[in-house]
Amino acid sequence: MMETSKQLHPGLWDTINERYPGSMITKDDYVPLAKLGKPVAESRLAFVSSAGVQPKGTLPFDVAHPVGDYNFRRVPSSSEPSELEIHQLKYPTVGANRDRNVILPIERLQELAREGVIGGLTPNFYSFIGYNMDPERLERTLAEEIAEAVADDGTEIALLAPA
Amino acid sequence: MQRAIEQRGAPTVSITVARDITERAKPPRAVFVPFMMGHHFGVPFHSRLQRRIILEALSRLQKVGESGEIYDLPLSWAQARREGIEIERAMGLRH
Repeated sequence: MMETSKQLHPGLWDTINERYPGSMITKDDYVPLAKLGKPVAESRLAFVSSAGVQPKGTLPFDVAHPVGDYNFRRVPSSSEPSELEIHQLKYPTVGANRDRNVILPIERLQELAREGVIGGLTPNFYSFIGYNMDPERLERTLAEEIAEAVADDGTEIALLAPA
Repeated sequence: MQRAIEQRGAPTVSITVARDITERAKPPRAVFVPFMMGHHFGVPFHSRLQRRIILEALSRLQKVGESGEIYDLPLSWAQARREGIEIERAMGLRH
C-alpha cells in the first residue's frame, strides 16, 4: 500500500485509470541522474508545464479531442501573466485564473533570474495539456520533441509542473 | 517527459500534487506538495510561498540522491489558504 495519506485528493491514479484505462504512465525502471554542471546560480533554467498555458493569440489546445492534443506551445519566458491564457478542462483553475503564478510561476522565475539566484531563463518555456490518452504516443512524440527543444534552448536545469 | 529531458543531460525536478501518480511515473526527482490540483505553487498572490516552493525544488538538484526520490515538502493546504486570504485582505481584494 502506497503512502498517499497526505495527498489532498487521494487515489488519483486509480480514479483516472478507472475512467481512462491505459492512459496512465507507469514505469518499472529509473533513469540515471544527470549531474549539475555548475551551480544553480549560474545555470539556465527551463520550465515545462502540462497545464495548458499558452500565449494569447496562439492556436488553442484541442481540449475536446478524444485522445488528446500531442502538440506543445512555446511560452516566451519574458511573457507577462496578462499575455497568457489557459486552455484545458482537467484541473481546477480557480487559483490560476486569478494569478497565473499558481500554476506557471513565471513572475517568480523572472525575479529569481534578475536576483541571480538562478543563472537565467531559457528564451522559451514549454507547455502542453496533460489530457493525453496514449502514454506510449506521448513518450514517442511529444516528450521527445519537447526534450529536444528544451536541450536546443541551452537548458542547464529544468523545472516541471505536471498538472 | 522529465525522464527524456534528464536523459539529454540536464538535471530536472518536478513539483507534484499527485504523489501516487508520480510514484508510478518515476521521474528522476520530485517534490510533493499536498495542495489542490492545479495549485502546484500555492494560492493567488502569495509570492513568498510560490517562491519557496521553487527554491525547495531547486535545492533538490544540489542534493546527492537516488533517481525516483520524492521529497515531501512540509506544507499544509489549509495554512496556505489562510495565508492567501490574509494577503488578499491586505491587498483590498477581499473583506
